Amino acid sequence: MRKSGLILLCLIPCLAWSQKETSLQGVQVSAKRRLSDTGLQKTSLDSTQLHDNIALSMADILTRNSTLFIKNYGRATESTAEFRGTSPSHTQVTWNGMRINSPMLGTVDFSTLPAYFIDQATLYHGASSMHLTGGGLGGAVELRTLAPTDGGSSLQYIQGIGSYHTYDQFLRFSHSTPKWSSSTRIVYSTSKNNFSYVNHDKKVDIRDEAGNIIDSYHPTERNQSGYFTDIHALQDIFHNDHKGNRMGLSVWYAHHKRGLPFLSVDYKDDTDFTNEQNQNTLRSVLSWEHTAQQWKTALRGGYIYQDVAYHYSTTRQNVHTVITQSQSYTHNGYLQAEADYIPHENWMLSAKAEAYYNKVRSYDRSPFHQSENYDKGRMEYHGSLQARWRPFAPFSLAAVIREEAYGHKWVPIMPAIFADYVLYAPWKLVAKASVARNYRYPSMNDLYFKPGGNPGLEPEKGFTYDAGIEWEISRKRFQLRGNASAFDSYIKDWILWTPNTKGYWQPSNVKEVHNYGVETTLEAGLKIRKHTQASLTANYAFTPSINKGEQSGGNDASYGKQLCYVPRHSANLSARVQWKSWALQYKWVHYSERFTTTSNEVSYITGRLKPYFMSDITLEKTFRLRHLDVSVKGVVNNLFDTDYVTVLSRPMAGRNFEVFIQLKPKWEKKRKEY
Amino acid sequence: MKFRYLLLTFLSVLCACNGTDNENEEEHFQDTGKGVFILNEGNYNSGNSTLSYYYPGEKRVENGIFLRSNDRKLGDTGQSMTLYNNTLFIAMENSGIVWGIDAETFRVKGQLTAAQTEHMINPRFVHIVNEGKAYVSDLYSPYITIFNPTTFRSLGSIHTGQPSANGYSSTENMVQHGNHVFTNCWSYSNKILAIDTRTDEVTDSIVLGSWQPKSMIVDARGKLWVLTDGGYHTGDESFGDNVPHLYRIDAATLEIEQDQALDTDEAGVQIAASPDKSVIYIVNNDIYRMGITDEHLPVRPFISAPTDSNGRRHKLYAIGVNPHNGEIYVADAVDYAQSGTVYRYSAQGELIDRFRTGINPNGFAFK
Repeated sequence: MRKSGLILLCLIPCLAWSQKETSLQGVQVSAKRRLSDTGLQKTSLDSTQLHDNIALSMADILTRNSTLFIKNYGRATESTAEFRGTSPSHTQVTWNGMRINSPMLGTVDFSTLPAYFIDQATLYHGASSMHLTGGGLGGAVELRTLAPTDGGSSLQYIQGIGSYHTYDQFLRFSHSTPKWSSSTRIVYSTSKNNFSYVNHDKKVDIRDEAGNIIDSYHPTERNQSGYFTDIHALQDIFHNDHKGNRMGLSVWYAHHKRGLPFLSVDYKDDTDFTNEQNQNTLRSVLSWEHTAQQWKTALRGGYIYQDVAYHYSTTRQNVHTVITQSQSYTHNGYLQAEADYIPHENWMLSAKAEAYYNKVRSYDRSPFHQSENYDKGRMEYHGSLQARWRPFAPFSLAAVIREEAYGHKWVPIMPAIFADYVLYAPWKLVAKASVARNYRYPSMNDLYFKPGGNPGLEPEKGFTYDAGIEWEISRKRFQLRGNASAFDSYIKDWILWTPNTKGYWQPSNVKEVHNYGVETTLEAGLKIRKHTQASLTANYAFTPSINKGEQSGGNDASYGKQLCYVPRHSANLSARVQWKSWALQYKWVHYSERFTTTSNEVSYITGRLKPYFMSDITLEKTFRLRHLDVSVKGVVNNLFDTDYVTVLSRPMAGRNFEVFIQLKPKWEKKRKEY
Repeated sequence: MKFRYLLLTFLSVLCACNGTDNENEEEHFQDTGKGVFILNEGNYNSGNSTLSYYYPGEKRVENGIFLRSNDRKLGDTGQSMTLYNNTLFIAMENSGIVWGIDAETFRVKGQLTAAQTEHMINPRFVHIVNEGKAYVSDLYSPYITIFNPTTFRSLGSIHTGQPSANGYSSTENMVQHGNHVFTNCWSYSNKILAIDTRTDEVTDSIVLGSWQPKSMIVDARGKLWVLTDGGYHTGDESFGDNVPHLYRIDAATLEIEQDQALDTDEAGVQIAASPDKSVIYIVNNDIYRMGITDEHLPVRPFISAPTDSNGRRHKLYAIGVNPHNGEIYVADAVDYAQSGTVYRYSAQGELIDRFRTGINPNGFAFK
């Protein structure tokens, strides 16, 4: 029994687990392979990667540290994740256990999640997302905040000053006692974001007096209407009675005021127009966990409120014209109960039940819309049973059965099976495989948005096969860890919004997509000398995402073609060298060409986006004073001033700079370990 | 030290990989023949609208000719074209610009931008009143912009006089009969406005029973033919009855003489006239032909929409009739996210050619 309890403690409490790990620039070494990880393809990002600099959102972190493709067009613009070449709504995201995908869109805007507000991120690839939630046809991202690890009080302030009148401020105050801990974080970021760029999409003609063109040039323009103000405040309170009970409360308020940048082919003057989105979000999760010898139970409840206002208008010659004045209010309540039971050291059984209530009111007050978009409430129920079994030492099996319901409709049962086998224990070389059937039910916009919503939509169906290996080699001065996996996935009844002849868009279950490919990650750490260490993290993904749906007519050339905006190849690399109090970091990101048409035509210039390489470099120096740690960090983004776009007609910033100064007072701390 | 060299070498290699080539040669075109311009709308907010040019004699198409001739993009959401005195005017709705290009060389002659004008926002259609005056209708602005089509200078604007609610601000097609230009208010509206070109003022209006007048022509007898889309119906939401109507209106008296309901379907509707304007053609799933003195559209289509091997009809997006020979051009938008296909038929409805263009071909201009 004692053994089982030890296993349970090792298996479940993520907090304890992460603190026990050693970390050398993201290279994590766990003491023992956990039964709960059976067959999982996952990527863990620790605070070293997440807390790189305060200007980075989770969109930037995932771009530079994972195989996900983040589609955005600059800082503070909508950033959605495409996991394994699927659509953004196929990536499910949880924060402290609560799903935070927008009930309206089914997606998450990762640009609204500052990475400094996340302490632990885990990416579950493909079928592995079934352990966390359903609907992750591409995968799932689990985000968590953790209790402060330092005893006593601590304060951290970071000031960032960057190009384009960008100012980033971060303040964190933490306090811990043996039983209680509290963390307060505030981020305030503002920027005009009015970078200049050579607009290759326009040309200015110089004419003579007769009106003949005698010369022309591509003008240098400024990014219009790209300004933003982001304010975040996060309060975490944790209580641990050291008798197996933990409680946590996390409350996160965010306000975003963002100008929506003009296209590079827009000839309007932004001083005449307001094109702005204002968003307020409140997320809160209350949790209680109880860990006993063979049991762990948890109860969680949460609530998310969000209002989003989009305003597009113009005032010229004292005439005010409102083009769009849309507003949405979302209320999202959540309850979850879960239990894990370890009857034997080689068995683990889990059950989880969740209920969400989503209430959405969406309308547009401009003259070009009629009535409300919709005003609906919807209950959603999720339940899962999981069993993990290790029949003999190197071999483990796991099975998951999920069931979900939305409104009055039930999704078919979603089963998944996982297996892994330890091939060579000294290298922790493990072979893994899984197979799963998954469903994603339609979002509320898919069903109800007026005009266009389609109440007859069916859930999207996915079937995924995964196989791969992972390894971890540790020597005295050297650590090497990595994984490689291949996947094969079929998604049917893919929901796609297409324009219709009446001038609005409508969703329908039209596509069948075959995603396949490989993903690989390599992490290495090297201690060169006493005060010198180096580390390297590299990710590569090959993600063909092929349309296999019915042709929409004899002229349809999209069959067998790569989906729009999904790169077939993506890679990133992060190298860091640390010498005493100096640290130099270089980051590199590459995406292959992306097609902008379903038929992948490249005969005209707008048919594809060119592949690009992006480099960032950071130099940091820490001064350890008697009462204060001061670190100064200089960042150069787009080091080689690459001229590129990630979305058609959306200019990107060239080389730009930001300097961060961090202050950490050294207060007297209690030495007791909590 | 070794690390420093390694790092420098690595950065040098990466730097070498970052060269981008955004400069394009300007191609030189010259065609004095009776070619056909095809405007490809592209996708909203993507800036991928393009212009195609078709050589009917050679059965050859050149796509992307605006970019190739001018080394600049056409813009976002190409809405319409108007050909006048060898200048092709192209209204780029979401770019807020009206281009004027030479119809023989395809080179830019001038442009009218939203920033140059007092009230232009999203230009939809251009109507040339005379050599010194042209009108631009607008999806959002309650004004019609007036400009000089030769100098591209803004000359002012016409307030539509409509309330700013219920979409009455929107103006679309413009057709002229005598001294009056008629424009239809499409977005959530049911009005036709009459503008006196001598005073540049809205002088009258016609209220239709059906919603969202979409397309108009004037026939040989001075009758105004208006096609509505009837609104829409989706899920439990409706605007209008979703039944397209065809109206015949006397352009002199503004009296509605004929009103007939068409088949309801998720059809794009557009109207065109034969060279002598004695016959009208309508896209409503299929292509229908009707004499201007007929009382009803025929039951059977003149040209059935092409079907695929599963019997599904292609989505017809636009129609144009060549004023020189009566040949009919019909556009298929396919899935709205790839190159569209244009079908060319003889005046008798026989298929002559088909070719691929840019994304969402939505209009034709015949030299």
